[in-house]
Amino acid sequence: MVEAFVTDTIVYASLFGLMALGLTLTYLTTKVPNFAYGSFVTIGMYTAFALYRTQKINPYASAPIAFLLGAVASVAMYLGVLRILSKRGSSLVALMIATLAVDIAFVGIFGIYSDYLTLRYALINSKYFYPIPDSFTLFGTAGIVYVAPISLCIVTLAVFLLLTRSKFGVAMRASVENPSLARVLGINVENVYVFAWFLAGGFAAMSGSYYVLWLPGGITGGSNLIVEIFAASVLGGLASIYGAVLGGLVIGASEVLVTKVALDRLGSWVGIYQKGIPLIIMVVTLLVLPKGLTSINWRRTLVSTYPSVRSELRRLYHSILKLARIGS
Amino acid sequence: MAVVPIVQLFGIDIVRFSIDLLTLYSLFLVVSLTLNLEAGYTGVPNFGKVMFVAAGAAAAGSASGQFAALVLGVNTHGNYNGFIYQIIPQIDAALSNNPWLSISLLLFGVLLAAAVGAVLGFAVSYPAIRLREDYLGMLLLAAAQFFQIILSGYEPIIGGTQGIEVPNVFGWFFGDVIGVRDVVFLLVLGVFALLVFLYCEKVVRSPLGRTLRAIRDNELASRSVGKNDVAIRRKVIIVASAISGMAGALLTFYLGSVGSETWTRVTWTFWIWVIVILGGAANNAGVALGAFSFTFLLKAVDQVKFNFQPFIPIDVNWLEYIMFAALLIAILAIRPEGMLREKPTLTMPRSVLERIMESSVDPVENNQQGNHSARVDSAG
Repeated sequence: MVEAFVTDTIVYASLFGLMALGLTLTYLTTKVPNFAYGSFVTIGMYTAFALYRTQKINPYASAPIAFLLGAVASVAMYLGVLRILSKRGSSLVALMIATLAVDIAFVGIFGIYSDYLTLRYALINSKYFYPIPDSFTLFGTAGIVYVAPISLCIVTLAVFLLLTRSKFGVAMRASVENPSLARVLGINVENVYVFAWFLAGGFAAMSGSYYVLWLPGGITGGSNLIVEIFAASVLGGLASIYGAVLGGLVIGASEVLVTKVALDRLGSWVGIYQKGIPLIIMVVTLLVLPKGLTSINWRRTLVSTYPSVRSELRRLYHSILKLARIGS
Repeated sequence: MAVVPIVQLFGIDIVRFSIDLLTLYSLFLVVSLTLNLEAGYTGVPNFGKVMFVAAGAAAAGSASGQFAALVLGVNTHGNYNGFIYQIIPQIDAALSNNPWLSISLLLFGVLLAAAVGAVLGFAVSYPAIRLREDYLGMLLLAAAQFFQIILSGYEPIIGGTQGIEVPNVFGWFFGDVIGVRDVVFLLVLGVFALLVFLYCEKVVRSPLGRTLRAIRDNELASRSVGKNDVAIRRKVIIVASAISGMAGALLTFYLGSVGSETWTRVTWTFWIWVIVILGGAANNAGVALGAFSFTFLLKAVDQVKFNFQPFIPIDVNWLEYIMFAALLIAILAIRPEGMLREKPTLTMPRSVLERIMESSVDPVENNQQGNHSARVDSAG
């Protein structure tokens, strides 16, 4: 039996990697922070919950359905709200407030849906529900502990192959790098953006349906994760999908591990500050490293700091020697 | 003894409806004016408005009761929140025949809320003045989310999700007849809202107001003429946050309780944004109009909800969310400048400028110069 915090870390980190990947895809294309992204996660949560409680379909089987629903909602939001507004020349702040409006509207829709579930199927806890029992265990550990990281690996690999090995993926990269130039070359940039939003919504909903296998969900279940999702994307630099995956892993892992250490050392009262960890990481990243982890040129950083570190150490060594001589 | 009359129209108590409407209107007006100062005039997109309002409310609600208990010598058994249901009735009884203590308690709470709002605004302004709009939006939204988690989880402040009761500072007035208290509170709030409105108008019509717009429209150009954009943005955030905190404190005293559930992102961030966008960003009169239209719509929907809820199987609140979200997106698409658009600051006519130049040479006509610039300011 593996310790609880290890499995927590694995599930949390993988799911936030998946969510941050999707958010970064939407940010890359439209350059607007999508505040409604958390609601795409909630779509997955409710798909898993409703299908499990009414049809006894386990969340692994319903994840593809969640993927489709989230993807369709995401595309609808892009075409129905953001594209219309940006064509009318809306400012960045106007687009941001529009995404917040979409999030609020989604919360309303989930509220109505949960009322419907209560009325139709007598599910009294449909506004806030406990985790769905996992359908299989392996070596005494719940299945999601394996499925979440494997899904993240598959998705990242698939996106990597799509972007580097397929013609459409190259067109996608071109559209993100320089839309005007891509248009000149005959790429339908709009279609590329729609596809990016399709994938983003799908990944969000998929991770939402896995999320409720581990933690409780509810009407604002996804919206409440927005702190972690944005922190992960910002840590990744908002410009690189691999950076986002890395950011998600770091955020998820540090949230669980730091909280675990703090709980052991300081007592149970630190539990509520758990969400402060991603927030602090986000603030520090924005102030110190605004382009994120992927902007660091690791090789150059290490090579360039090495000589100065060596000379510092030498100076320190000599001053200690001098002090020792004076002392004697 | 004064009793508020009951006037019925279509089965709706008009007086009651008006009082509720105007109370909510004044609160929304204050908070949306501060958002207008930040987002409309200075270009700081504050997506964490709820944090400042809630901070003021929590500070005032928690500290005023403890302060009163200390002054009146009420035994708190060392656990104020735990014995709140025994402590508050004792405080209320003492306050009901002690107007001076009541008023000073109200002032204490409101000023403390302003201080807490200002401190929080200062803390937020550190990253806020260094970041681009989109990063700032994300950061403020996330910070507000975190703040709400703290409020609901950390019990010593306001007892977590359960909330705590707050002393009744209007009890001495007409012995707390139902309705009269609401009217008195409405008057207090109305005066406060009017003062905030006049203050905001004064600020944006002054040279400082033009500086704010210059920073919003072109940071580099304003810097090149020697305006310290960082310091000015920080000041705007601090002032706006302090006023928001005061609004939160006043609502807390009115409601007589404060809990983490009172302050939702939907009401105190999203709806405030709806008001500013609906009324017209960077136009205080527009925001006042927008706040009234929005509050009227909200109360009307509430009334319909109250009358028709038994016949509708779902909670009508959800429909409200969807309706106002759709309204906001529709405004952004159809009329993004809002009901009243921003008035441009025009250059003064040549004749006026020449007269100002002449008068500044001649000290005798200095008085006239003042008149001219005042007139041009109010026109622009």
